[in-house]
Formats: sequence, C-alpha cells, structure tokens
Amino acid sequence: MDRRSFLKVCTTVALTSPPLLYGVLRAGESEFKPYKKALLVNKDGKPVTPEEIKPSKEYIFFYPYRSTPCLLINLGRRADPVEVETKDGHTYLWRGGVGPDRSIVAFSAICTHQLSHPTPSTTFINYYPEGKKAKIAKRDLVIQCCAHMSAFDPAKGGKVIEGPAPFPLTAIVLSYEQGKIYALGTLGKEVYEDFFDVFKPDLRKLYGSSRKARELVDVCTVLEMEEYTEEIVRC
Amino acid sequence: MKGMSRRDLLKVAGAGILIGAQMRSTSFATPVKSQGRMLPPPKGKRVVIVGGGWAGVTAAKYIKKEMPSAEVVLIEKRKIFMSCPISNVWLGGLVEMDFLMHDFHTPASKYGYTFINATVLDIDRSKRRVYTNEGYVDYDYLILAPGIGYNYDAWFKGDREMARYCATRFPSAFIPGSEHIALKRKVHNFEEGTFVLVVPPPPHRCPPAPYERAAMIAYVFKKNGVKGKLIILDPKNDIKPKGPGFRNAYIELYGDLVEYVPNAKIKEVDPVNKVIRTTAGDFKFDDANLNPPHRAGDIAWKAGLVNPKTGWCDVDPLTLQSKLDPRVFVAGDASSVKGFPKSGDMAHNHTQTMVVKALVALMKGKDPREAVKAPTNTCYSMVNGDPKEAIVINVLYDIDLKKGTVVKKKVNVENRRSKQLATATFEWARALYRDMFS
Repeated sequence: MDRRSFLKVCTTVALTSPPLLYGVLRAGESEFKPYKKALLVNKDGKPVTPEEIKPSKEYIFFYPYRSTPCLLINLGRRADPVEVETKDGHTYLWRGGVGPDRSIVAFSAICTHQLSHPTPSTTFINYYPEGKKAKIAKRDLVIQCCAHMSAFDPAKGGKVIEGPAPFPLTAIVLSYEQGKIYALGTLGKEVYEDFFDVFKPDLRKLYGSSRKARELVDVCTVLEMEEYTEEIVRC
Repeated sequence: MKGMSRRDLLKVAGAGILIGAQMRSTSFATPVKSQGRMLPPPKGKRVVIVGGGWAGVTAAKYIKKEMPSAEVVLIEKRKIFMSCPISNVWLGGLVEMDFLMHDFHTPASKYGYTFINATVLDIDRSKRRVYTNEGYVDYDYLILAPGIGYNYDAWFKGDREMARYCATRFPSAFIPGSEHIALKRKVHNFEEGTFVLVVPPPPHRCPPAPYERAAMIAYVFKKNGVKGKLIILDPKNDIKPKGPGFRNAYIELYGDLVEYVPNAKIKEVDPVNKVIRTTAGDFKFDDANLNPPHRAGDIAWKAGLVNPKTGWCDVDPLTLQSKLDPRVFVAGDASSVKGFPKSGDMAHNHTQTMVVKALVALMKGKDPREAVKAPTNTCYSMVNGDPKEAIVINVLYDIDLKKGTVVKKKVNVENRRSKQLATATFEWARALYRDMFS
C-alpha cells in the first residue's frame, strides 16, 4: 500500500468512526499501518468481550499475519494515549487502551531485539500482571523478554524500559465497536520481514510454506498464553 | 610470538623454521609484501575487520545496516564459525555440535559485505594495510577483533616445546576448534582419579566459563559414575561471578565429586609429571584442563596496539578506538574497558552499540562519542544436565559523557538454578546466532 492510498484509508476510517479521528490521523502522519480489519473471537468463535480478558492473565492472538503473535492485555486500569519515542528520537502517538475502561491493549509479541516470540513449545516474552513482578525488571505491569532481558511498558505504548531492545514493541491498533474488539493495523516499527526471513524453516513446519505463513487474517482467535504454549519462561 | 616484529618473522621463515601451525610455511616462502593487492584502493569509507568472531561478524552486519555506502571487508582465517559461548553446554552433551556451527557466507551475502577467508599475517598502520597469506588489503578504518591468545610464556618462560607439549596434551579450549573436541573426549572417557581444572587469572575470556565448565564436567562424571574428583584451582579468593549459584550447584548436585580450591595461584605447571604447584599447595592429576592466562590475540601484538603491561589493547572506553591509533577500533575480548567482561554477549553488544555507532559517526564527520549507546550484558551458565538447569547475570550500563566512561547502572543476578533459565539459555544463544548468521 502506498502512502496516498494509506492516507485514504485513514481518512475513511476517521470519517466513519469519529472517536478515532484524532488518534488515527496523528498516527497516520507517522507510523500507522492498516491491515485487514480483524474480529477478535474466543475459542468458541464468539466475539471476545472485554469481561473475558482478565487483568491477571496474558492472552495471545495472531495478527496481522496468521503466523505473527500478539499479546492481548487488560491492564486493569485506563491507559491514556502517549507519545512514544523511539531510540533514534522519532516519535509517534500511541492511542491508549480500548474497551469500556480503556484498559485493553495489544502488542506484537515479537521482541524487537532478536525476534524471540511465543511458539507452541516455549515463550520467553511475557506479560507480568499486577502483583506478579518480573524478577529482572523488578516490577509488574511489564512485558519482559527472558532471552536478553529487554523490558517494555504496555501502558506506555510498548516503549523500552530497559535492556538491549533498540525500539518499542510494535503496537497493534485495536478498536472497540458495539461490544466487539477489532484489530485494525500496527503502529510503530515492524519486524515482520526479518521474522519471516529468519524463521523460514520453523514457519514452514508450522504453516506449510512461507506464503501460507504470510496470509493476512480477518478473524483472530484469542487464547490464554498457557493454552497456546507448553512452557512459559519467566525471569 | 609476543614482541616479534615482521622482520623477525621473515627471518625465522627464511631459516625454514616452522613457527606455528596456523601459519602456512608456503606463506613464508614468498615474502608477504610481494603478494598482490586483493581489492582496489579504498575510497574513504572502507572498513576492514580483522577477525570473524562475535565482535567481527556483528560489526560487519551493523556497519552495512547503518551505513550502506560503507565498504566492509571481513577477514577471518577459519573455514567455519564455531561458537565458544554454549560450548560448555555442548561439552556436557546437552546440545549437538550443529548448534555451535555457522557459516560466514550467508550474512556476507545478505548484508553485502566482502568476506575474505585468509590469515592475517601483519598490519602496517602507517600504510593502513593488512597483509594476509593471500595478499594485502588497504583500509580507511580498521576494526581489530582478534579475540584472545594463550599466554603460555607466563608458565613456561619462553620454552615453546613445553608450551606445545602442554597445549597438545591438556588443551585449554577457550579458543574454539579442535581443542574443544579433544577436551570433550577427555571428559567423557575419564573413569577414575583426579581431574584438575585450572581457572585462568582475571581478566580472562568469559569470567563464569571455568565454573560452568566445571559444573558440566562434574555432571558428566556423575552420570558416568566416575570414581574420583574434579579439583578446581582458582587463583581468586572466591567464585565470581554468580558465586552462590555455582557453589550451591557443586555442593547440592555433585557433592564430593567437586573440590573447589581458592587462592591457588600458579607457581609451576609440570605437564610431564602431571603436577601443579600453587600457593594453595601442590596437586597431582591424572588428567586436566590446563588454562594459561589470556591476553589479546597475536595480531593485536603485531599491530603494535597492545599495552605490554596488561596484555590488552588500551581503548577509549566509549568508542573503543585504540588510544594509539584513532583509525583503529578494538572490538571484543582484545580490548580493555573497565567493567566490561570479555564475553560473546558483551562483544556482540558493545560492538553494536558503541563501536559501530562511533565508527559510522566518524565516517559521517560527527562526534563519535555522542553517537554511542549504553550496552547491556546477559550471561547464562548451565549448572546441571539432568534436568537442565541454569543461573544468570544481567548487567545494564550507563554512559557518562562528561567523564567519558561507561558505568554499571544495574546488576541482576539469579543464583537460584532453574529449568526455565536453562530453556532461556538456548534462546539467548539462538537469538544471537540468528542476528549474526541468518
């Protein structure tokens, strides 16, 4: 998608959905990248309701590609929009949480350092809910990757708190419309091309081919992380 | 070869004396300088990297990523990359050799740098020229990443025959290759008696490595029902870093199999009679892993960039530029920066956040010191094989631009061994191999 058509999309979204106007337009000026609009559903195929997303848990879904994992989090508190600064001084506006309490957020679960991400066997990058402090970052309400100890702030647009990650987690832009949660696109720097390149053999095993791994989705099944992966590595 | 000039080398070569396995005699039959230029003259942005270890391979990739117009040449003598990090885990039999092995060609092709498979014989800094056994290459900037060398002189006072005897029969295996395979055979074939592991004096490559190696050897001995013990002779007064984690593993997992001896500074090593005399007493052994002190790799000495008092290259602590030559950056273990351990993770990290940032700034006419970012260092150590369990240390640094130094901001240590940390150990490595080689 070129810049012109992408601005068109932004305008369309903004016109049809007035509450999004500020966020999307501001984001569109920087890093918003729309993908297929995808409905988040539970295991039964029914739309996920905000009540189903417990603040004490972490959830996974795949978006914008069928093979690219995301963390879905209910922070248990309102998350306001915030300017996110990348380490090279570039900034963009993260739109904050969605849902009745504006507490639901989502981020790509691919670490921006070296692409560690949840797999069916293990996950090293996890959300640490309130009261469950990460030992290394010494705090809760944090996303931490145990491969090299990068820590990200899910209440502040996924910005890097500490560690070797060079830029924030890619944010997944969500919308909350008539009780349903949708994923609309991404915000911030993406790592998908590197991901597809580096994990070619693994993706082929899981999805049959690189092409199949790159299929865009319009429905995302939300699972608890422990339902998806055998071993959750926390540190 | 400490202190030997190029002229001396040629003299020796002329006399037909074989002086080291890695230097082919054919290279010396023809004077180095008569061999041809390998690349056209540089145009101002050629960076030659000597050494394709963790620092060198990282430097090559990230210079091309940050400044595609730079011409990057990586020179490495090995035919294949073998990782020193995780080699102890492999020694314990917990991972296949395939895990450690990587090719130089894929990243060179992907990121667009030139890979030259040759042995560097000399560096003439006045001409900005690197001589190899295949010919010479001129540079605008040089990244020297030769890793470590073994200082057997500290034990054998220039007796090369004895040094070779010791290195052949009791290989150190701190430089990847044949030595590692030899050590693994020793450990897995050991049935009874005393096996000694000598911890080199600091600073040495990978501070926790000797202790992790001891744990892996003890694990193999325990599994094989070895009747005997592993004696760790440490010149320091305690295990550092991750002392409690290693100590608990030795006591709780291996009991009498491991004897840790602190304050055991080497007085004499006698590999023929298998005796080591130390400040903590004399020790006879049946087999051993004898680790001499480390120093900067040989080529750093030939380039005249090593401080003979320390054995390492003095560098600016922010940019890692040599204090003797601002066109030369010393990345990885050969440099000496206060607070930086010599390790694969640290080499990868400071090369990416400091060396490359500084060098690219310099080539763009900017202040290199202002371009550098604070590094981090994460180091896992496997202490048990069944189940696999590990401990970890993680250090975050800060940059003090005013003082021109880097300081430790936060140190996290997890000394409670766990299966989760063992799983993370493998991902730590896979992720960095991905970064350097895929």
